[in-house]
Amino acid sequence: MSIINYASREIQFKIVYYGPALCGKTTNLGYIHQRINPENRGDLVSLATAADRTLFFDFLPLNAVVIKGFVTKFQLYTVPGQVIYNATRQLVLRSVDGMIFVADSQWEKMEENVESFKNLEDNLAKQNISIDEIPYVLQYNKRDLENIAPVNYLEYVLNNRKRRVQSFEVISSTGQNVFASLNAVSQILLHKFSKQSDVPKTAPAPVAIPVEPPIAQKSAAV
Amino acid sequence: MNAIPCLTIEDVANLDGVLGNFLTKAEAELTVVIDRGGNVISQFGDMTVMDVTIIAALAAGSFAATKELARRIGEVEFNALYHQGNGNHIFMNSVDDDTIMITVFGRRTTVGLVRFYSASTAQSVAALLKALQNAGGGHGFSFDASDITATPVFADQ
Repeated sequence: MSIINYASREIQFKIVYYGPALCGKTTNLGYIHQRINPENRGDLVSLATAADRTLFFDFLPLNAVVIKGFVTKFQLYTVPGQVIYNATRQLVLRSVDGMIFVADSQWEKMEENVESFKNLEDNLAKQNISIDEIPYVLQYNKRDLENIAPVNYLEYVLNNRKRRVQSFEVISSTGQNVFASLNAVSQILLHKFSKQSDVPKTAPAPVAIPVEPPIAQKSAAV
Repeated sequence: MNAIPCLTIEDVANLDGVLGNFLTKAEAELTVVIDRGGNVISQFGDMTVMDVTIIAALAAGSFAATKELARRIGEVEFNALYHQGNGNHIFMNSVDDDTIMITVFGRRTTVGLVRFYSASTAQSVAALLKALQNAGGGHGFSFDASDITATPVFADQ
């Protein structure tokens, strides 16, 4: 749930990285933390086990674009992917504004991808949020591995809904399309946010927020 | 999704008044009102020594994590939590179903004093936030593509 503060001139958004265990959610945040201008980010907080498995969540606060003098603040979270931590996933999803679903492209992970996506739908439903309403994009991660499913198969399995969303072929360990997917969901979020004002506009009707150069794979209308 | 909470300058001034009064009485360093998703709603006090955003995220997690513990002893949740350090401490209490108040304090005061004044402060904050929710509607902040000063939103350096 975004919050707009007219006194501090800030707008806050919460984006959650969701997906099965070991699919690369934490690696995404690590890459963003490493590569973004340090002036625009806070510390990366990671609550992990000794074996570096996410126990609670990872958290990275980012400052982004300025709109009419308002700073947009994005809070990035990951959920723990392991099946037993569903209560924690429900907690992290609370007040979510947008999501990136990270799928593991390896054939043997397909069942876990589907289970995780179903789990996401269920957990959103518990908050009275429909997956068809909330802004999200898909990441097909680990595209550098050998035993991976083709993109059209992943699209068939995970992006076969009435509303098809943008999807990206990602290698989170090298950063390929990590920023592209974050930018895509951020722009969808800002666009949705701009439509939720009830103040009549004097200017012409807004056009879509400009999209960065077409690095997106399999882009579709959102 | 619910209506977007919109804090006007007047709302923030009202919240600041309540929180400032609390800090003075309780002699605490910092107080932050957050939603249970970890978003900062309002903050007051010395914010130079810590990243309030991270404190909010972790506090929301901490509060929620103990809910199951509370259930085991027949409670719905613990409505207050206290983390004791050697010199600095954190006290958290529930404001309403959606909101938590965090207070950071040091050696100048005691947990008893913080706990005592935080109860009435939480009630005042809850009343202010309820008025906001009742206002409902859109956030009133309109913009279009040309208002966004940088694309892409995040740059890979």
